[in-house]
Amino acid sequence: MKKRRELDFPDREDRKLNLSFKKMKLTLILTLLVFVSFGNGFSQVKLSVNFEKATIQEVMETIEKQTDFIFLYKDEIFDNNKRYSIDFENVAFEEVLNSVCNSAGVEYEIRNERQIILKEKIKTSSTVSVFQQRMVSGVVTDDEGQPLPGVTLVVKGTTNGTITDGEGRFQLEVPADAETLVFSFVGMEKQEVPIEEKSMFTVVMETATIGIEEVVAIGYGTQTRREVTGSISNVSEEDFNKGLNQDAVDLLKGKVAGLTITSGSGDITSDETIRLRGTSSLTGSSQPFIVIDGVPGMSLSSVAPQDIESISVLKDASAAAIYGSRSASGVILVTTKQGKYNQSLVEYDGYLAMSSVTNVPDVLTAQEWRDYTSANNINTEGLDLGANTDWFDEIMRTGISQNHNLSFSGGGVSSNYRASISYLDQQGVVKDNSLERYNARLTFNQKALDNKLNVTFIGAMTQRNYSPTDTRNFVLAYNMIPVVPVKFDDGTWFDTQEYDQGNPVRNIEFNKRDNKYSLYFGNINAELNLFEGFTASLRLHKQRETNDYGLFYDSDTERGRNDQGFAQRTFWTEDKKLLEATLNYEKSIDDHKLTALAGYSYEDNYYQNAGAQNRQFVTDFFGYNNLGAGENLRPSDVWSGKNMNKLVSFFGRVNYNYMMRYIVTLSLRQDGSSKFGANHKWATFPSVSAAWRINEESFMQSATFIDDLKLRVGYGVSGNQDGIDPYKSLQLYGTSGQYYDNGKWYRAYQISQNANPDLKWEETSMFNVGLDFNFWNSRINGTVEYYNKQTKDLLYTYQVPVPPFLYPDMLANVGSMSNKGVEFLLSGDIIRQRDFRWTASINMSHNKNKITDLSNDEFSTSSIKTGDAWIRGGSSNTTHIVEEGKEVGTFYGWLCYGLDGDGMYIMEDMIDGEEGLTNDDRTYIGSAQPKLTYGFSNIISYKNLELNFFFRGVYGNDLLNFSKMSYATTQWLPGANVLHDALTIGLSDNPKYSSFYIEKGSFLRLDNASLSYSFDVSGISEIQKLRVYVTGQNLFTITNYTGLDPEVEMDGLDPGVEGREYYPKSRTVSVGVNVSF
Amino acid sequence: MKRTKIFSLILVLSLSFIYQGCTDLEEEVYDKLPVDEFGQTTAQINSLIAPIYRTLKGVFPSNYFLLSECSSDMAITPTRKGGDWWDGGQFKELRLHTWTPNTSLVRGSYNSAMESISSCNKIYSMIEENQSIENKDVILAEIRGVRAFWYFMLLDYYGNVPIVTDFNDTSKPSTNSRKEVYEFVLSELNAIKDVVRDDVTAASYGKITKGVVYTLLAKMYLNSMVWNPDGGSKWQECINACNEVMALDYVIEPSFKTSFVVQNQNSKEIIFPIVFSTADGGNHIHKRTLHYLDPIPLNLNVGTWNGVSAMPEYVRAYDDADKRVDWSFLTGPMYDTNGEILITAHGRELIHTIDIEIKYNLDEDGWGQVEQEEGARCSKWEFENGLNGDMENDMAIFRLADVYLMKAEALVRLGQDNAEATRLVNVLRRRAFDSDEKLLSSVTLEDIYQERRYELAWEISARQDMIRFGTFLDEIPGWKPESNEDRLLFPIPQSALDANPNLDQNPGY
Repeated sequence: MKKRRELDFPDREDRKLNLSFKKMKLTLILTLLVFVSFGNGFSQVKLSVNFEKATIQEVMETIEKQTDFIFLYKDEIFDNNKRYSIDFENVAFEEVLNSVCNSAGVEYEIRNERQIILKEKIKTSSTVSVFQQRMVSGVVTDDEGQPLPGVTLVVKGTTNGTITDGEGRFQLEVPADAETLVFSFVGMEKQEVPIEEKSMFTVVMETATIGIEEVVAIGYGTQTRREVTGSISNVSEEDFNKGLNQDAVDLLKGKVAGLTITSGSGDITSDETIRLRGTSSLTGSSQPFIVIDGVPGMSLSSVAPQDIESISVLKDASAAAIYGSRSASGVILVTTKQGKYNQSLVEYDGYLAMSSVTNVPDVLTAQEWRDYTSANNINTEGLDLGANTDWFDEIMRTGISQNHNLSFSGGGVSSNYRASISYLDQQGVVKDNSLERYNARLTFNQKALDNKLNVTFIGAMTQRNYSPTDTRNFVLAYNMIPVVPVKFDDGTWFDTQEYDQGNPVRNIEFNKRDNKYSLYFGNINAELNLFEGFTASLRLHKQRETNDYGLFYDSDTERGRNDQGFAQRTFWTEDKKLLEATLNYEKSIDDHKLTALAGYSYEDNYYQNAGAQNRQFVTDFFGYNNLGAGENLRPSDVWSGKNMNKLVSFFGRVNYNYMMRYIVTLSLRQDGSSKFGANHKWATFPSVSAAWRINEESFMQSATFIDDLKLRVGYGVSGNQDGIDPYKSLQLYGTSGQYYDNGKWYRAYQISQNANPDLKWEETSMFNVGLDFNFWNSRINGTVEYYNKQTKDLLYTYQVPVPPFLYPDMLANVGSMSNKGVEFLLSGDIIRQRDFRWTASINMSHNKNKITDLSNDEFSTSSIKTGDAWIRGGSSNTTHIVEEGKEVGTFYGWLCYGLDGDGMYIMEDMIDGEEGLTNDDRTYIGSAQPKLTYGFSNIISYKNLELNFFFRGVYGNDLLNFSKMSYATTQWLPGANVLHDALTIGLSDNPKYSSFYIEKGSFLRLDNASLSYSFDVSGISEIQKLRVYVTGQNLFTITNYTGLDPEVEMDGLDPGVEGREYYPKSRTVSVGVNVSF
Repeated sequence: MKRTKIFSLILVLSLSFIYQGCTDLEEEVYDKLPVDEFGQTTAQINSLIAPIYRTLKGVFPSNYFLLSECSSDMAITPTRKGGDWWDGGQFKELRLHTWTPNTSLVRGSYNSAMESISSCNKIYSMIEENQSIENKDVILAEIRGVRAFWYFMLLDYYGNVPIVTDFNDTSKPSTNSRKEVYEFVLSELNAIKDVVRDDVTAASYGKITKGVVYTLLAKMYLNSMVWNPDGGSKWQECINACNEVMALDYVIEPSFKTSFVVQNQNSKEIIFPIVFSTADGGNHIHKRTLHYLDPIPLNLNVGTWNGVSAMPEYVRAYDDADKRVDWSFLTGPMYDTNGEILITAHGRELIHTIDIEIKYNLDEDGWGQVEQEEGARCSKWEFENGLNGDMENDMAIFRLADVYLMKAEALVRLGQDNAEATRLVNVLRRRAFDSDEKLLSSVTLEDIYQERRYELAWEISARQDMIRFGTFLDEIPGWKPESNEDRLLFPIPQSALDANPNLDQNPGY
C-alpha cells in the first residue's frame, strides 16, 4: 500500500525497450535511473562478492541483489565476451564498485545521492570531422528548476550527443547544418529543441507521468498503478487531511469517491460511520474491512495517523474478493512507514488544537422564559428562582488538544528500522468528554541467507484512556429551565426530580465513565526467495486487546440518586491469532508477464469479559474502585462470558499481462467460518477483472497527449459475516433470571435462541467498469466508474410463528438489495509553474440503494418498520421503513402540510382511503440517502508556502430534525425548557412524527483548510526539513437545514436522524510544526 | 540451492500440516450450554422447569394487566399535559375500543403467551425424553398446567388461536376455534387435576397445584357461556371446583393487606402468585402509576412514570366506609420532606384527584390531555420504604377471595342457596368494613358484580367480569360510546399473521 513514486523500470526488458538509441553508436551513454531509497554514506556498506568467469551483467545483478541497488546502464557499454573473476569478502561497497568499473572500463556516477549511473568512459572529443563544427552549451533542469544531471542529448538524426554533468550543464559540438537537439531522460518527457542560431540553451524537462508509477496495495501484494485491474483508490501521505485527526479514516474523509465517512456525533470517542458504495446489510455492519500492514481485521486506533504512509481502498468486489467473507463492504488497506536504506532520520510532528462548538441548541433564555410566562399569565412561584442559567454553556467548554509524534528511522544494507511514539491528548467540547492516546510502533526488517530471506517484525502498542460523554446531560440541558441556578448562593447544588430533569453540571462534575483500552501485537513476516521469481512467505500475528471500564454515578446526582450511588466495572479481552502462508510466483517471457499467488490463512479470535456492579454506597469516596462497599448487590450484578470464532481460508490469484496492454486478474477465496451454520460451513468467492490500456495500442500512438487510458471491467463475489454473532446457529441453554422455590431463589436455565443451522454469510456480487485517463503530462487525470452491486442472503431477524418456534424472531438469510452507482474523479494542475502551483481535485459519487426482496419461501415480511421516534409521550412511533422497491433510510410517517390556525397539524389522512388519521395513513416522506456526495480539494503552493483547502458535501438527502420534534413545543412550559422555535412555530398539537420535521439535508462544508510554510534548510546541515502550519477544520457549513448540523448518524436501518441526545459538532483550529533531523 | 530445497520442503510439509490440522471449524462454547450437556441432576432439571413460571411475569403489570384494566372501566392511562403517555395512541385505543392488529400491547400480550406455550412445549419434550427423571408424571403435569394457564389467557383475550403441544413438530400451525381451545384447556386441566401436588405450603408456593388447577377449572366453568356457549352453562361444575379449592388449606387472611405487602408470600390466601423479587425485576406497578415527584413523600429511590390511574367512576362507586378504597388507591395531596405541598413542572400542586378531566388538545374523538397530577393511583401493593428498583411484592393471579366470589356467583346464577352465597360475600365485606352494618342480608348478581370490583380492583379481573356480566361493550359516559360486539376479543396481531399465513384473523378486524 505504499504509494512510492518510482521511476518505472521494473525489469531489464523494459529498460531496453525504453532506450530508443539502441542502434546508434553513441559516444556516450545514457543512464538511468533508479530508485529505492538510498543515502549518503554508502561507502559504509560492506558486501561479499565471489565470481569466476562471470559476465559483467551477472556481477552487477549480484551486487544489486545484495544491496538493493539497481544499476542503470545500457548493455552495449559492456563487452559481452569478456569474463570477470572477482573475489571480495566484506569489502566496502565503494571499493567493489571502483574495482568492477575499472576492470570493465566504465565510469559510474552518483546522482542526487540517489542514483548510480554506469557509462562508458568519456572520450575527449577528438573525433575528427569532415564537417564544420560549432559548439553549443546550456543547462537542463526539471520543472521545479533543479538541475538535471545525466540527461542525454543528441543531434537529431545522428548519433552525435552527450549527457549533462552534475550541475545539469552540457557542451556539445554539432555539425553546422544540425537543426534540432533531442533531450531525453527517463521519467521525463522527450523534448526536441530547434538549434537555430542559438548557442546557449536552457531546457526544462517535464516530468513524464507514464514513467512515474504509483505502487498500490491490492491485498496480499502490491501492483503498479498500470497493472491494476480492479477498482482501487490509493491515497498517500501528501493528500491526507491535515489537522486534528485520530485515525486512518479521518485522513481519508471526502477524498475517495464512493467512500463516505460520517461523524454522527461530536463525541471525540465515538466511531465514525464508514460506507463504501452504499449500505449492503440489514443486520451486520456495512463497515469496510480494515487491513493494516497485511493483517486483516485490525482496529483503526492501532496506528497513529503520523505512522501511515498510504491507504488503499478496494472498492469493487473483483478487488476485494481476495478477502472473502468479510469484504462485501469493501476493504481499506493501511500501509505504515518503514525505515529506508541508508537514511538516518529523526522526525518530530506536533500540534496544538483548540475546538469550540459550532452550534448549540437555541433554547429559551431566562429572559425569554420570563417574557413567555408573564405574557401567558402563568404562575411561576416555586419555579422561578431568579437565576439566569445557560445550561448548555454550563456543560460545554473550549477543548484543548495536543499531539506529539516522534519517530526514528534508518537502515543499512541488510536491515532497516523505524520506531515511533505518538501521544494525543484531546478534549471534547463537552466537559466530560476526553481522550488520551499513546501509540508506539517498531518496524524492523532484516535480510539473511544471501538476501534470500527477508524478515520483517512489527510490534506495536496502543493505549487509549477515554471518557465518552454522557448524552443524558444533553436531555437535561434541554429540559432544565433557565431560571434555576446551577448552585445556590451557599454553594449547594440545585437539583430536581421532575421527568427528564436533573442538574447536568452536577452529573458531569461527580460522575465518571472511564475506559482504559490497550492493544498490543507482534507480527513477523518472513519472505523466502526459493528460486528465481518464486517467493514463499509466512506471517504470524498475535494480538491482544483489552478494555477496562469504570462507571460511577454519585449518589447525589441525577444519575445516581435512585441507586444511592452506583458503580460498575467491566473488563474485556480479545485475543487474536493469525497465521498466513503464501506462495508467489512471477515470470516474464518476452511480452508475457504472469504473477500467481496461492495462500492459506488461519485466524481465531477469543473474546472474554467480566463485570460487576453495585449500588447504595454510604460514601461516594470510592468511585468505582471499591465495588464491595456497596450495600445492594443483586444476583445479576456479576457476570462473565467468553466466546470464540475461527476463520480458515484458502485463496489464490493469477495476474497475466500482455505487453502491459491487456491485463487479466483472477482470484478465488474459500472461507470456512465457525460462525456459519452446520449446513453452510464453507463459502467460495471468485472474481475476475481485466484491463485494456488503450493508449498502448498502435493506433493510439499519434495521440501523444494521452499518457494513459485504461478501461477496466471486473466482476466478483464477496461476503459479509459481520451480522452473525458466534453460536447463532446453535441451540444452547443460557441462564435466564431466577426462580423461586420454597423460600429461596435459584438460577433458571432456558434455551436462549431459535437455532438456525442454515445461517451463512451475506453475499455481494459486483460488476464494475471504469475508465482511467491521464492527459498532457498529468495535467488532467481521473477516473469514471460505474458499478452494480447485488447483495443476497441478507441477514435479518425475521418474525417466525411461536409455536412451533420458541421465540418470535430468528436470524435468517433472506432478502436481497442492490446498490448501483457512478463515481467520478478528476484532478489536475490548474497552474503549473516553477514557483506557483495549484492542484485541484474533485470527486463525486452517486449511489442508488434499493431493497429488491425481503421474503422467501420460509420467511416473509411485507416491510420492516424501524427506527424509534421516541419523544416524550410517543413511544411506539417508528421513523423508517425497509420495504421492497425502496431504499434503506426511507422515512415513513404522516404527510404534514403545515399547521392550521389553531396550531394543529394538517395531516394527509386519506392515504388509507378513509377519513381520520390512523397508522395506515403513513407514507414515504423522505430519504436519508444523498443523491450526490462530493469532495473538492485544492493545494496551492507558492515557493515555500502551501495552502491546502478542502470542501465536501452531500446533495439531495433528507434529515429528521428530531430535536425540533422533541422540543419545539410550548407544552412543556413552564416546567421544562423548550427550543426558541417553539414560540415561533405556534404548535399546539401533541408533537407527532411527520414530514413536518423532515428537512433537506444538503450541505457544503469547508472541512479543512491548512496553510503551511516550509523553511529553506538547505544551509543547515543538521536539519532536513522544517515546516510550520496552521489548520482549521469544520470552518463553515452552508445548508438550509435548521438543526444543529446536517451531518448526522448514517448507520443502521434508521439513518439521517439528529437525535434528541445529539452531541454538537465543533470547529477546530490547530497550529503545528514538522521537523526532521 | 541446497538450503533453498530444504526450505521448500519444510514449507510444503508445514502447509500440508496446516491443511490437516486447521480446517476444523467447530465452535467451542464457553458461557452457554450445549443442549445435550444439561439436565442430568435434580437441580439442573429444576432450573430447566423454572422458566415456565418466569413467563408469568408478562401478565403483570404490563401486557395483560393493561389490556384488562384499561379496556374495562377500571383504569385508564390518560395522555398527560405535554403529551406523556400518548404513546402513539395505544392507550386511547384501549379506552375507546379502537385497537387494531398493530397495537403494540395487543402484539406483546399475544407474543408473551405464545412464547410461554412454546417454552412449555420445549421443556415438556425435554423432560419426557430424559430417562434419568423419577417422578416424571408430576413434573409433566406441572408443565401442562402452566401451558393450560396460558391457553386459558389466550382463550379469554384472543379466542381463536392455534393449539400446539408438540415442540418437535415444526410445521406452521393453523387456527383452532375458541370452542376447540376451550375444550382443550378443559381436558388438560381434567387430566392433571389429580396428578399435581395438593399441598398449600411454602414449598408449593408459586407452583401449579391442585388449588391452582381447580381455580382454573372454576373460571373455565364460570365463563363457559361466554367462551363455549354451545356447551351450555356449567354453574354446578363451577361450584364443585370452588369447593375443591376451599377444601384445601387456603384461608381468607384476617388482614386484606397480607396478600399485598412486600413479603406477601406468607399469605395463605394466595393460590397462584407471580413471584417477584427486586433482584430479578418485573413488578414495576409503582413506576407505571406514580407521579415523578411521588417518590419523595413515599420515600422511594426510583424514577417513576406517571401513567396508569383509576377511572373516576370506579373509585367513586365504593362505599365511603369501605377500607379497600384506601388500600387500593393513592389520592390526595403529596408533601415534601418539609411538609410543603409539592409543585409539578406545570406549576401546579401535586394533588392526586379522583377526577380526571380532559382539558387540552382535544381531538375529534374527545381524547386529549389531562393535568399531570390527576387520577387515583394504584397503591394496592405496598410500597417498600427506600425501594430501589422493582417491587418485591408478588402478584396473586388467583386468591381465595376470588374463589369465594365465584362460588357465590354460581350459586346465585343457579338460584341455589342464597344464604351460602351471602355468607361468602360477607366474609370479604367484614374484612373491608369496620362495622357489621355494611354486611348484606342477601346477595343479588349485581351485588356480586360490584363486590368483585371492590375486592379485585387492579387484579386483572375487570374485563373478564364485565364481559360475563354483559357490561363490557356499554357506553362509558364522557369516555367512550357503546362498542361493537367484535371488541369482546382482541385481534390476532399482524406480526403473527405475517409470520404464519395459516392463521386466521378474528371476526371484525
